[in-house]
Amino acid sequence: MAEFLMYFTNGLVIGVINAISAIGVSLIVGIMRVINFAHGELYIFAGYFSYHLSLTFGLSPILAMPLSVFFIFLIGILMERLLIRPTYGDEMYSLIITFVLSIVLQNSALLIFGPYPNKPPALISGSTQIFGLFHYGNQRLLSFGISIGILLFVFYLIKKTWFGKSVRAISQDREMASLMGIDHWRINMISFGLGAALAGSAGVIIAPIFPVTPTGSSAISLTAFVVVVLGGMGSLKGCVVGGLILGILENLGAAYVSTMYRHIFAFIILILVLVFRPWGLFGQKT
Amino acid sequence: MSRRILEGKGVAKSFGGLMALRQIDFVLEEGEIVGLIGPNGAGKTTLFNVVSGVYPPDRGELFFDGRLISSLKPYQICRLGIGRTFQIVRPFLKMTCLENILISLIGRGERGKTLEEKKKEAREFLEFVGLRNRENSLAKDLTLIEKKRLEVARALATKPKLLLLDEVLAGLNPSEILQALELIHVIRTQMKITIFWIEHVMGAIMKASDRIIVLDQGEKIKEGKPEEIVSDPRVIEAYLGESNA
Amino acid sequence: MMKTWISLPLIFLLIFLPFFLSQYWLHVMIISLFYVMMASSWNLIAGYTGQISFAHAAFAGVGAYVSGMLAVNIGIPPWLGIFVGTFVASLLGVGLGYLCIRMGGIYLSLTTLGFSEILRIIITNEDRWTRGTMGLQIPGFFTEYSKMSYYFLFLIVSAVFLFILYRLIHSEMGLSFRAVLNDELAAASSGIDTIRVRILAFTISSAMAGMAGGLYGHYLMLITPDIPSLGQMFLVLAMAVIGGMGSFIGPILGAFVLEVLSEYIRIYGEYHVLLFGLVALGVARFAPEGMVGVIKKRWKVKESP
Ligand SMILES: Nc1ncnc2c1ncn2[C@@H]1O[C@H](COP(=O)(O)OP(=O)(O)OP(=O)(O)O)[C@@H](O)[C@H]1O
Ligand SMILES: [Mg+2]
Repeated sequence: MAEFLMYFTNGLVIGVINAISAIGVSLIVGIMRVINFAHGELYIFAGYFSYHLSLTFGLSPILAMPLSVFFIFLIGILMERLLIRPTYGDEMYSLIITFVLSIVLQNSALLIFGPYPNKPPALISGSTQIFGLFHYGNQRLLSFGISIGILLFVFYLIKKTWFGKSVRAISQDREMASLMGIDHWRINMISFGLGAALAGSAGVIIAPIFPVTPTGSSAISLTAFVVVVLGGMGSLKGCVVGGLILGILENLGAAYVSTMYRHIFAFIILILVLVFRPWGLFGQKT
Repeated sequence: MSRRILEGKGVAKSFGGLMALRQIDFVLEEGEIVGLIGPNGAGKTTLFNVVSGVYPPDRGELFFDGRLISSLKPYQICRLGIGRTFQIVRPFLKMTCLENILISLIGRGERGKTLEEKKKEAREFLEFVGLRNRENSLAKDLTLIEKKRLEVARALATKPKLLLLDEVLAGLNPSEILQALELIHVIRTQMKITIFWIEHVMGAIMKASDRIIVLDQGEKIKEGKPEEIVSDPRVIEAYLGESNA
Repeated sequence: MMKTWISLPLIFLLIFLPFFLSQYWLHVMIISLFYVMMASSWNLIAGYTGQISFAHAAFAGVGAYVSGMLAVNIGIPPWLGIFVGTFVASLLGVGLGYLCIRMGGIYLSLTTLGFSEILRIIITNEDRWTRGTMGLQIPGFFTEYSKMSYYFLFLIVSAVFLFILYRLIHSEMGLSFRAVLNDELAAASSGIDTIRVRILAFTISSAMAGMAGGLYGHYLMLITPDIPSLGQMFLVLAMAVIGGMGSFIGPILGAFVLEVLSEYIRIYGEYHVLLFGLVALGVARFAPEGMVGVIKKRWKVKESP
């Protein structure tokens, strides 16, 4: 029982991180109809940044983490401005460009950071006993807390602020939004940056738990994509629910079925969703 | 009494919170030419989109030639015999005029004709709308007027029994409008195609239609002979309301 | 007319060239022909219907592994095995196409990417059958190994592929492909069953990848999870993009140029992927019609001064 609960808790922790990462993808799809295939690479880069800022440049991890996310945000803005914006409305070229970019970034990561896994220092050590059943690492608990904080922040941003209202307006009806005087170029750019920053956040949160490697990025993108399809394209709530479902299933599956096939569960879920409910749990059926 | 070619019963369609069509009932008899008018945003194009299967109606049913079509896909509806043009023209920009028409001929799904035979037939449609000399030009190189003609030819080439024309006269000068009306007359009398058309050019649509249906804010507010329409207070109000706004 | 004047000498060249090449360059030519098949068939879906599949290399892997494992385990001869592999690839193509294409292009790209990854993971982990990253040794086509024979085999199959593709593009089907690419709604309103057209294009292209992969596997005689990898997929995509998507010649040109170039770059280390990536980004951004587009423009400028 305790063992099961521990795997379940692992699933929850990974689940909220999945959710953050997936929202990064979903935001960009919802607003620009662009899938960012370089998502996983941004995530990995954030992990490496955080590692090098704290270990090579001696910054405190508390500073290194947000700073890394900020760098990724800037990279996202640059990507949108230089590469995505000209393809606007041409879905095919945006797919090609972000895919090629993912390969370029992956190979750059290999060159710059080397092929070995890197693990930035933990913010906190030790463990806590949960309900008197099992010991759980404090770093994981903290990651869980930070992730929840980020999720709340994103929901606040989308539901309550001017930026969020514009984003929702554009996602629903682009023409209407531009008639209402929303500058969609700026919103696109910020959203892309934000999507990247969310990938980065997930990366810096997970890196102290599971070290990052340049070759791990495709699996990370894939997880995020499956969550987005499962939850329903463009739905934030879907990302959270989908992220948790996938996190828990993958962890239980890895524990009780086979570790090798962690990602296969994700793919099976993807196929099942496409067969039975292609618009996802919270998506709009059109 | 002639046959009902198109019939809508309680057709409704909304986008998010916006009710673009609320419970529309209408009938088109075979051989008629019926005008659809109404102020901007009245739901005219939406009605065409629902009829041609671009989106299914939220509620209500559509019958074409007595067959229920409201759950069919656009290509199926087209093959049954409803051709359409788009208000904002959508030719295949990177294909030649001839290829644009060929697609409609291919779309009919007829067997036993070679590509060469189809090309010959396609040229006739180009000839009909006066684009014969442009057959090898890419559609993106046409002027707007030429694109509109291509659009009509493409719809005709699907061999429709019913043709939906969405503001084909918009942007034409008076003499071009006369030419276009001539064409519409031929489509109706010689090709025996029923016509349902949306137009903002009042003079033309009043003159050429047997009957007019008026939409306003998603509702059918009036239906009748052109002369009844122009004198109806509700119709006048709907249009005045627009120009005052 | 013009076309025959260019292609006749080219055919002569391709037939007689191998007699003057070293074993090493013969190998490079064979690999280039493999990429010609891959990039040209990928171009059929990407360039002519506007759908980006990331499973093209995966389907080549399916072809290679199905045929290879049949040969190793139950002794089915390779020339028969590659047809089985092609068939399996086309079945998977229909399945994936049917699931995703009605949901739109983004779904196809996502799912094919997933399929690629999963296939790689399965091949790597099921090493009892596939020998994982060690690679599976499989028999070749000819009892007596000769690069020259393989060269002509690849040349003939490439020619058949290109012939089929050319006929297809210039048929009614090809017109429908382009109509769907130009404007899906307008095509549907003209009576084209756009979903069927897209699935068909995807299936044909996937089957071709399966066949190419089978040939490739039996040439290498050692198949590894690198065949269905995303790195391989990237190379195929880069060849089509840099050569010129949506043109018949583009991917052929891209395949030869990139494969030969990568041989030169390899001397300095594994930088060719990064370099091709950067070039492909530049091309997609600034010259979306690729090398063919650039050449055509030059030609026109010269013609009409
Ligand atoms: N795809 C869509 N998504 C959201 N709203 C839509 C969509 N299509 C139409 N609408 C809305 O539905 C209403 C009716 O639009 P429609 O295009 O049918 O009007 P119309 O009568 O053709 O107007 P016009 O004379 O300007 O062409 C408008 O308010 C429009 O904004
Ligand atoms: Mg309209």
